[in-house]
Amino acid sequence: MSSEAIPRPIIETRGIGKRFGSFHALKDVSATFHEGQVTAIVGPSGSGKSTFLRTLNRLEAHDSGEIVIDGIVLSDDIRNLNAIRREVGMVFQSFNLFSHLTILRNLTLAPMRVRRMARAAAEEKAMNLLERVGLKTQAGKYPVQLSGGQQQRVAIARALAMDPKVLLFDEPTSALDPEMVNEVLAVMRELAYSGITMLVVTHEMGFAREVADRVIFFDEGVILEDTTPESFFSNPGHERARAFLSQVRHGY
Amino acid sequence: MNWTRQHPGWAMFAAMIGLLLFLWGMALPLAAAPAPIGPAAEQFADGARITVGLTLIAGSAGVLIGVLAGLGKLSNFWPLRWFCDSYVWLIRGTPLLLQILFVWLALPTIMPAGVELSDFTCAAIALSLNIGAYNTECVRAGILAVPHGQVEAARALGLTPVQTFIDVILPQSMRVALPALANNLASLVKDSSLAYAISVVELTMVGYRVQAESYQPIPVFVTIAAIYLILTTAFTTLTAALEAQLDVGQKR
Repeated sequence: MSSEAIPRPIIETRGIGKRFGSFHALKDVSATFHEGQVTAIVGPSGSGKSTFLRTLNRLEAHDSGEIVIDGIVLSDDIRNLNAIRREVGMVFQSFNLFSHLTILRNLTLAPMRVRRMARAAAEEKAMNLLERVGLKTQAGKYPVQLSGGQQQRVAIARALAMDPKVLLFDEPTSALDPEMVNEVLAVMRELAYSGITMLVVTHEMGFAREVADRVIFFDEGVILEDTTPESFFSNPGHERARAFLSQVRHGY
Repeated sequence: MNWTRQHPGWAMFAAMIGLLLFLWGMALPLAAAPAPIGPAAEQFADGARITVGLTLIAGSAGVLIGVLAGLGKLSNFWPLRWFCDSYVWLIRGTPLLLQILFVWLALPTIMPAGVELSDFTCAAIALSLNIGAYNTECVRAGILAVPHGQVEAARALGLTPVQTFIDVILPQSMRVALPALANNLASLVKDSSLAYAISVVELTMVGYRVQAESYQPIPVFVTIAAIYLILTTAFTTLTAALEAQLDVGQKR
């Protein structure tokens, strides 16, 4: 925790379970995330970290347990779901920009449709956000004309256009060429210091160590470690975490 | 066709103006032709207008039916899926001529008293249902071709399922569906000739009558064929331009 004051809990999960057929992806996962906190979620592939993130805005429905987002219990009730999705932004591994719309329209679509913003206001806001991620000059282009790193920065701006309280990042740099990773991390770093609540599933250990307030280590559908970056990287408590860290460090 | 790709807006405009000029103005040059064409010029023009009218009405209704039934076939609600499956199965499995005769002869007997269907209306209904069934499969293929990530991105931004369909899925599915829909439209221009069987005086019927009066089938049928060629060329230019316009932002 970076500050002394007790922040408000914004996401609470209690005993989340999720199965895909016979595969037990999440087993009784409980965690609370506070406003303004930046959490890095790490772990080997197939450990359930992405599934956990995707249950938080119900791109995957959990089988058991309870998820409360900003005081609303997540369920199939469509009104609750729409209310939650307005407050929780998501950035995907493969960007998922709307390929038939210009960059500007990608940013204005949801504010105009969901928040009922006027076009002029939505466009002004979109241009400000594009300036923030350094892509103001690309507003009239289509996603396919941009590099991967640029597309991911647009995707972040698109999520921000809805003024979410929480931003979920699902391996935001995993699909990028190495030389484009830093431009995306730079935008995320700037965001983290702006005080927005972030949950980042990532393989970027440097980013996790430098930017996150908290590191959660997933393995085989359970949270094995939930601690500060300092203690996770210098003194991991669990054997599995030590093995994971030595493997990801091997690549450096 | 290269010019069509580079200037889709102009190509659509030119095709539309060309079609209109041709329909309203063709009687003038035809009237100057020697017998048997010249004296029947007005009949040719009327027949072409009926053919184009049938094509435009059945073409538009067919796209609407195709989108609705294509969605229905992908529905989770089994009675709807069953209904749409049966519709496509029935229409594709029976001859168009039979369908036209059925609507013309059988429909009036089951219609409430006082409702009169003209021959033209009967032909339009049968042709709409027929092309709609073929369009259904094209639209379904188009919807299935939209990457799932696009839907996830839209839902994560808080768009409702209906908004997601209208703003994201439908425009992207049309990129895949349009070439096949254009193919069906080109068939429809010519299939509309079967309306002659229920005494709709469309282009082919005009040709049949004029050659029966003049005993000169060669010049008459050559003229009819030329008019069909001009009509299909106008329609395919129109759809090719539409395709080029939907193609923006597409990967290749």
